[in-house]
This record gives sequence, C-alpha cells and structure tokens, in this order.
Amino acid sequence: MYTAMRNRSVVTEGREIQRAAELIELGARLQILEAETSLSRERLLKLYKEVKGESPPKGMLPFSTDWFLTWQPNIQASLFMSFHRFMVENAGMHGLDAIIKAYRMYVEHVQYNGMEQVLSLTRAWTLVRFFDANMLKVARCERCGGQFVADVFDLTRGYVCGLCHVPARAGKTRRRLEQFNAEQGTKVTV
Amino acid sequence: MRSAELHNEIKELNLAYLMLAQQLIREDRDTAMFRLGISDEIADLLENLTPGQVLKMSGADMLLCRFRFDDRLLLGLLSSHDRESGMARLHAMILAAGKPVEAIA
Repeated sequence: MYTAMRNRSVVTEGREIQRAAELIELGARLQILEAETSLSRERLLKLYKEVKGESPPKGMLPFSTDWFLTWQPNIQASLFMSFHRFMVENAGMHGLDAIIKAYRMYVEHVQYNGMEQVLSLTRAWTLVRFFDANMLKVARCERCGGQFVADVFDLTRGYVCGLCHVPARAGKTRRRLEQFNAEQGTKVTV
Repeated sequence: MRSAELHNEIKELNLAYLMLAQQLIREDRDTAMFRLGISDEIADLLENLTPGQVLKMSGADMLLCRFRFDDRLLLGLLSSHDRESGMARLHAMILAAGKPVEAIA
C-alpha cells in the first residue's frame, strides 16, 4: 500500500494477491489494482491474465464527472453511493472494503430486478474518489428526500431528483430501442 | 382467528424472523445490517442469542419485528403498480438506505 510497508511478509502478500484477484473478478482495471495494492505491475499483469484469461484493457481510466450526471448513470450511481454511505456510517467500514461491499450489493440489486447494469467497479471506484476530491457531492431531493449524486458546483436548492421527475426520454437508449424493436417486430427509430 | 391460533402464528413468525436474522448476520454481517435495518449493537445481540433464548423470545406473545417504513412515499413506491416496478424499487432502495437504523436506546 505504502512504500514504508515494503518489508514484505508472505502472509501480507498472499492477502494482497487474494484481494487483487477479487477485484479483477469484479471487473477492476489495472490502475485500481496498482493504487490499492503494493504488488508490482508485472505480478498484477500476470495475475490479471490468469484470472481473466486475457490482457487487461489499455488506456486511461474514465476521468470525467459528467458521466455520473446523465440520467441512467446518475440514479444507479446514487444507488451505489447510498449503499456505500450505509456501509461507512452504520457498519463502520471504510476504503476499499466499503466500495467492494457496496458494489456487490449494487450488482445484486440490479440483477435481481433485471435492470441494465451501467456502473462498472472501475466507475464505482472513481465515483468514490470524485467524492473524496470534492468534485461531486450529494444533493437532497426536495420531493422525496433521497440523496443523489450531483456536481459540486450545481445549485441544489430546490433540487428534484431524476426519479421524482423523470425526463421524457429517460432510459430510452439506442440499445433499448433495438431490443424493443426486436421483441415487438417494429421499426421505431430515435 | 381464535386466540390460541393467533398466539401460535405470532410465535412462528417471531421464530422465523429471529432465525433468518441470525442466518443473515452470520453469512454477511454488513449486508444483513442493511437488510434488517439494524445497528451494530443489535446485530451483535441477535447473533449471540442461543437457540434457547430464541425460542423463549419467540413466545413473547407480541411481534418482535417492527414495521420499518413509517414513510408514505416509500410505502407508495413499494406498493404501487403504476410505475415501472424496477425504477420504483430502485427509488425505494435509495430512500431506505438513508433511513436511520434501529438502535438500542
């Protein structure tokens, strides 16, 4: 984790490998593994290939907060953050543990309800970092009282969430439309 | 319902509730706290009940689990049919996660 802890113990390393493998299975990118464990890049690469059977995707992590403000990602990110907040405030968890637990609950909820899962672990992890860096905040919906992800510069007095006031075309993505057309045999276009 | 039958129903529900709560806590404590809406202390307390205590408590002649959603909006979301049910459930989940947990006074 930190360079000061470099006097390696086999047990610690074993734990880190286990933790890293868990993260890979949940869909973490290499950058997260590098930030959250003290394992070397070569070992992580090897581990990644072993767990996933393929090389990790290259390129930068998503770095924009805008994605979390569009409708579908916003409500799912808000769901994840409400689990995360519960874990931190009520179960006394913090750091990566809280993220993993909240993410597992999020995935379970989405799958159980047959919804499209839009938040990857990498997104969830960056989301928490954006909160830590005060780039995003939670806004309280004045209608339902729920807490939703918002930009830190948004004026949130009188804020109404995307679930109390669903925008007209919310969730009608191209993919959903194609699925609808395939099921109904129609040719509705955007 | 005759009263003997009623007592039995309550006892059975209490028993089922306590056993399920213990099972949830033992499997995954943090998630269980969320699902049950209880604090750390209450989770401890439930987890450490012996089978004998569970049986004894079940016969208390009153329900041991309390109605959690004293909130009209949340109730509406969970019970209405007019919205896309997935969305309503997601909305309810966000609101429920923000509610304070049951704690020992």
